[in-house]
Amino acid sequence: MAVSPARPISSRRLRAGWRTRLFAYLLVAPVVLLIVGLVAYPFLFAIWVSFTDMVVGSVGQFVGFKNFQYLAGTATFWSAIWNTVTIVLVSDVLKLGLGLGLALLVHQHLPGRGLFRSFLMLPWAMPAFVAFLTWRVLYQPIGGGFNLILTQTGIHNGIIDFLGQRSTAMASVIAASVWRGFPFWFVSILAALQSVPRELHEAAIVDGANTWQRFWNVTLPGIMPVIIVTTLLSSIWTANGFEHVWLLTAGGPSDATMVFPVLAYYGMQTQRIGEAAAVSVYMLPVLGILVIFATSLMMRREE
Amino acid sequence: MTEARNPHGWTRRRVLATAASGVALAATSGFPMPAIAQSKKLTYWGGLIFSEEANALLTDTIMAWGAANGVETEVVMINQNETVQKVSAAVSSNTMPDALDVGLDLLLLLSRQGVFSTVDDLYKKIGDAHGGWFEGTDSATDTSAVAGGRTGIPFGVNGNLLLRRKDLLEPAGFAEAPKTWEELVTQAMAVNKSPVSGLGLALSSVGDANVQVNVLQSYGGRIADDAGKMVTIKSEATRTYLTWLKDAWDKGLFSPGSTSWDGAGDNQAYLSGQAAFIANPGSVGIAAKKDDPELFEASAFSPLPAGPMGQVSPITPQTRAITAASPMQDEAKALIEHLAQPEFMNAYFNVAIYGPVLKAQEKLQAFDGSNSILVGLLGLAQNGTAPAAPDVYNAAWADLSSNFVIPKMCQRVVVDGWDFDRAMDEAQTQGQAIYDKY
Repeated sequence: MAVSPARPISSRRLRAGWRTRLFAYLLVAPVVLLIVGLVAYPFLFAIWVSFTDMVVGSVGQFVGFKNFQYLAGTATFWSAIWNTVTIVLVSDVLKLGLGLGLALLVHQHLPGRGLFRSFLMLPWAMPAFVAFLTWRVLYQPIGGGFNLILTQTGIHNGIIDFLGQRSTAMASVIAASVWRGFPFWFVSILAALQSVPRELHEAAIVDGANTWQRFWNVTLPGIMPVIIVTTLLSSIWTANGFEHVWLLTAGGPSDATMVFPVLAYYGMQTQRIGEAAAVSVYMLPVLGILVIFATSLMMRREE
Repeated sequence: MTEARNPHGWTRRRVLATAASGVALAATSGFPMPAIAQSKKLTYWGGLIFSEEANALLTDTIMAWGAANGVETEVVMINQNETVQKVSAAVSSNTMPDALDVGLDLLLLLSRQGVFSTVDDLYKKIGDAHGGWFEGTDSATDTSAVAGGRTGIPFGVNGNLLLRRKDLLEPAGFAEAPKTWEELVTQAMAVNKSPVSGLGLALSSVGDANVQVNVLQSYGGRIADDAGKMVTIKSEATRTYLTWLKDAWDKGLFSPGSTSWDGAGDNQAYLSGQAAFIANPGSVGIAAKKDDPELFEASAFSPLPAGPMGQVSPITPQTRAITAASPMQDEAKALIEHLAQPEFMNAYFNVAIYGPVLKAQEKLQAFDGSNSILVGLLGLAQNGTAPAAPDVYNAAWADLSSNFVIPKMCQRVVVDGWDFDRAMDEAQTQGQAIYDKY
């Protein structure tokens, strides 16, 4: 059987295909340039800088892992690790509890729930700077709102220096951070609750499931993907968060609330850019893993 | 038909192709640095300070000088707390101003990198014209060893003064300022009653808390040896100092919150009537004079107390520098010379918080004794100790100060309850690690 020869692709079609590809590349080129210029270059440059002894006004020399070794030898660095992990974990748990509880409440057909929903978003809508400075004022030992309440109600006599003593500083920072961040959890979980099919609840009721069983077996599995993504995003933001610690305690007292972003900022203040960059680079592996998880989960949900 | 609907041939493909080409062209043409003609505008970064009048006076004077001399001039006031960040970015991106106000730490660091022009001729000219420079200022701002010449022209000195509530202390029997740190505790004890705390001294990780270094030094403690290489924080003298600190802390003399204050913590404590003593460069006095004249009248300024080894009250000179890459060297020099004129400086001293740097400035009206803050600053300029003295002022010292090693040692003792040895050991190790980098 004679095989017909493959039909030669005309040079005109080849040129058209090449033009189409070029056209496509041209379309994405501006975005690629922007990403390279605004994300990739600064990111890679920061990594490079962390391996140099760069100070203000000098390009610096390659020093290998010297900056990382120096940091690892300081007590403050280990405090920053411990504190960052503590703030992220405790904040996430509290935000989850608060966000989930309020979302379940608002999800009910209650009168005025639209107003209540908007009201709950206020902390998130408020500029972080204003929010945390307000908290700082509330925490003031003399004339601060919390101390006034405690003394006026007779709950506690005397002054509590919320931000100035190790025993209360971290808890105070976490409380403010949770207040500012829980609305994101609330609104994410509320949206997820609304997407859980009503039929599943009705079927569970018919099967005799009580409220707890319906929550555990129907609601929670339905909103779990959103909770995981929210947890990952919130963890990244909290670990990278600067203003809540800086505005409240600047990492003190002693290093009771020192976290990585504040430590990096102190590095900048000493004009040793290489060391400051090394602090940030230390965070990369953990944050990178969180980012990859969050991104893949979100993409899977979209699919 | 097609032609009729689309007479210009603008197909979807053509529209997209044109748009893409346009965007690509715009994007690519934006990257090469355009050949901008060298601007002849002189840009000056002034140091923004607590006094709005002083900031406005500096700006207006520079602009007036520009107008009178046909030099287009721009003044940008930079918050002094952000100078390091702004200058760092400007050095990296090659966008430094032609001239700027700069503190001694940054001047030394950048002079080593060759960022500033040497201005020995201008320094001599101004000194000769105004009776010579004060000795402390002269030695503190000498960058010859690191830059081959002087790079900064001093225009003012500041440093900590002791500010006290005489309206509280005099009725308690203390008409005179405390001469020693021990006496300070005694006086503070006498007026320490809520809501007033005896001592409004910062113990947090802020620049104000580095006054604790001066206390430590006045007790005989040292940061490093005479070579400025070997850290010597752990010593019996430091232990004596820590004993003084712990004693004052245990007596409840320090203001609540002093271990977590920001840079304005002591200011706010004093201005709100919650502290009897603070160590401050004078900004609180300026604020009180403007917003609370009653408090200002009830306050008095004096030098920092002394310890067993004497008084340590360092001056911090502020300087003006010219960027080496500036195409307007002559104009910048002329401007800085103009800014040293007594008419301007007298007006500036009256509203700013700086002491004099030139001997002829002693005779300015500003220092005639009518302003107690300026009297204190004049005394500081005349008798203040050199930066870091008796330690060696070098880059390691500046790094250690910026890392708040001594305030952190204090926090270990009063916040974390560490014993003195453990706190000194950590400070010693941390300090040596910093000094080893240089």
